[in-house]
Amino acid sequence: MANFTEETISVAGGNLQVYKGGSGDPLLVLHGAGGNAGPRRYAQALAEKFTVYLPSHPGYGKSDRPGWVETMQDLACFYTWYQEQEGLENVRAIGFSMGGWLAAEMLSMTGHAFSKVMLVGAAGVKPVDGEITDIFIINPGQIRDLVYHDPSQVPEWDEMFGTDPTPEQTDQAESDREMAIRLTWRPYMHNPRLPAKLARVSVPTHIVWGENDNLVPVECADLYQQAIAGSQVTVLPNCGHSPQIEKPDDFVQTALAFL
Amino acid sequence: MFLMRFTERAYVNYTEEDVRNSPNEAVRLTFSNSNFNPQEGHYLYNMYLDEYEYSEEMGFDGLMLNEHHNTPTCLGATMNLEAAILARNTKNSKIVLLGNPLPIFDNPIRLAEELAEIDMISGGRLVSGFVRGTGVESLATNTNPLHNRARFEEAHDLVIKTWTTPGPFRWEGDHYHFRVVNPFQVPMQKPHPPVWIPGTGSPETLVWCAERNYPYIFLETDPQGTQDMKSIYAETAREHGYEPGPENFGYLVRIHVQDTDEKAYDVGKGYMVGNIGVGRIPLPRDYASPVGYGSRSDDPRFLRLREQIRSDPFRVGGLDGAQYDSILDSKRWIIGSPDTVISQLREVLSFMRPGILAVWTNDGSISHEDTMRCLELMGQEVLPALREIGEELELTDPFQKEGVQPGLTRM
Repeated sequence: MANFTEETISVAGGNLQVYKGGSGDPLLVLHGAGGNAGPRRYAQALAEKFTVYLPSHPGYGKSDRPGWVETMQDLACFYTWYQEQEGLENVRAIGFSMGGWLAAEMLSMTGHAFSKVMLVGAAGVKPVDGEITDIFIINPGQIRDLVYHDPSQVPEWDEMFGTDPTPEQTDQAESDREMAIRLTWRPYMHNPRLPAKLARVSVPTHIVWGENDNLVPVECADLYQQAIAGSQVTVLPNCGHSPQIEKPDDFVQTALAFL
Repeated sequence: MFLMRFTERAYVNYTEEDVRNSPNEAVRLTFSNSNFNPQEGHYLYNMYLDEYEYSEEMGFDGLMLNEHHNTPTCLGATMNLEAAILARNTKNSKIVLLGNPLPIFDNPIRLAEELAEIDMISGGRLVSGFVRGTGVESLATNTNPLHNRARFEEAHDLVIKTWTTPGPFRWEGDHYHFRVVNPFQVPMQKPHPPVWIPGTGSPETLVWCAERNYPYIFLETDPQGTQDMKSIYAETAREHGYEPGPENFGYLVRIHVQDTDEKAYDVGKGYMVGNIGVGRIPLPRDYASPVGYGSRSDDPRFLRLREQIRSDPFRVGGLDGAQYDSILDSKRWIIGSPDTVISQLREVLSFMRPGILAVWTNDGSISHEDTMRCLELMGQEVLPALREIGEELELTDPFQKEGVQPGLTRM
């Protein structure tokens, strides 16, 4: 097992909480709207090959919430700033859900953010047939029911959900949700102009989706593929919105084959 | 004392099962409008307007309206339209709007225009209340709940400036941007129509009102907790150089009167399917108060008060889960014959000391016939008695206050 440390660095005048572990080339992991779940099993596995950086987005976890980070484009600006400062440009990256949208926004802004990118169940592009589930009018329990296709196959289920959250964890979850509301309220979870801007992307991009994603419809995988020339798609069968948690072994295998 | 009549104008032609079968079992926001029958709406809107016109005849000083969205519990989705009709069809009563939900308006200039027209048509009888709206109002209009208070305050400032500063001027705020603010129609009342703010005791709003000398109307709040809320208002008022009196406070109470206590008791049950809806199914928290909508203030005075509000057995405002008899025992609703109602109200008024009493005469499934009899008895017996009690207790209302009239901005 790789050893992860938790550190706090100063970026753009505020504190940023970053989990860091493993060795090898850097791999930047961008979490989704629900918050930073820390170095879970998939991250431990990736840390066997890479130095994994897993920051909590501004406004999430223990990271500060700068007033100027209001939109996903602001967040992308923040991260390019972070990359420059930390010497983490041109690195491999994985973005999950809203973090996938973040990675896509960064791709649309600069050609030297990433050397290779995986977008996993990424928000950011408006589906044609379906809708991205509105997570802001349902409660955390309902969201969890939608995220996982088959809870019985989630190896870390007991560890993650086996006990009732502490008051501190509930407060943290509310604070994270508040940041998600700030960033993605309207247009909800997508940027209508993103697909057009993704035409500039030339770095290798791998789009990964759970076949049974109940939050961001799997058709969005095709829409991302159409928007990013040369990108490839892997759809994982019998899997929900978070393949890295629901099927970590399959996910890591797919990731390592690409990265 | 200023006496105004209120009802939420409920629509009750649906069943508990209809609510259970709807998304998140919610009677607001996602309860399908396929459950609404506009033919019935035609009848109800006209009936409710008739009742308000009759309320003026019966001697109420004010006709109070409110507004909610995506819900059968209140037909006032665009309250200003009802207000405009009453402005034309009534002659004396103030038209008290409690209130327009400011954050949900993307164009507050249009709101300023509508209110100016109502004020002119009515001959200067508008009282223009403003609210933040519930979470449902934010969700129904896709207004980010995180910005609710900031938008409330900025829209308020913009409306007041629009009413009081000769245009054209430009507005570049955080949430609102206008290159030319210059609506030709401005209100008849100067400097502007009085502003009253209703609510359930949010400390930030109390402070905000006290800074401006805006009367605060407590919506069915717990009487004991209300004393603490009033003291927060009073502290701020003194910091701003004035001593608040009854003219700075109002209280909304459900008050239903019939010829006998027994009849009133039976009819009053109709309230139970009013603002919580048929089936009385509590609204999901993420609808009523989405994350980000509430305050994160850690001011100890505010925290103490919030705790108190949460511990109110009837929960502030809604009295949601309570049984009819226990609500009546607590005297949070006042239901009975004229004598019973008058004597109970004497107690409430002595303790709460509001200069403004909002009389929520009927709601839910209370019939038109029973409502009209209630209004008649109010006019014949209850209102005259309340006026005497008001004089005796020196419950001065904003219009009786000498000097600066509360409701006209001091900022």
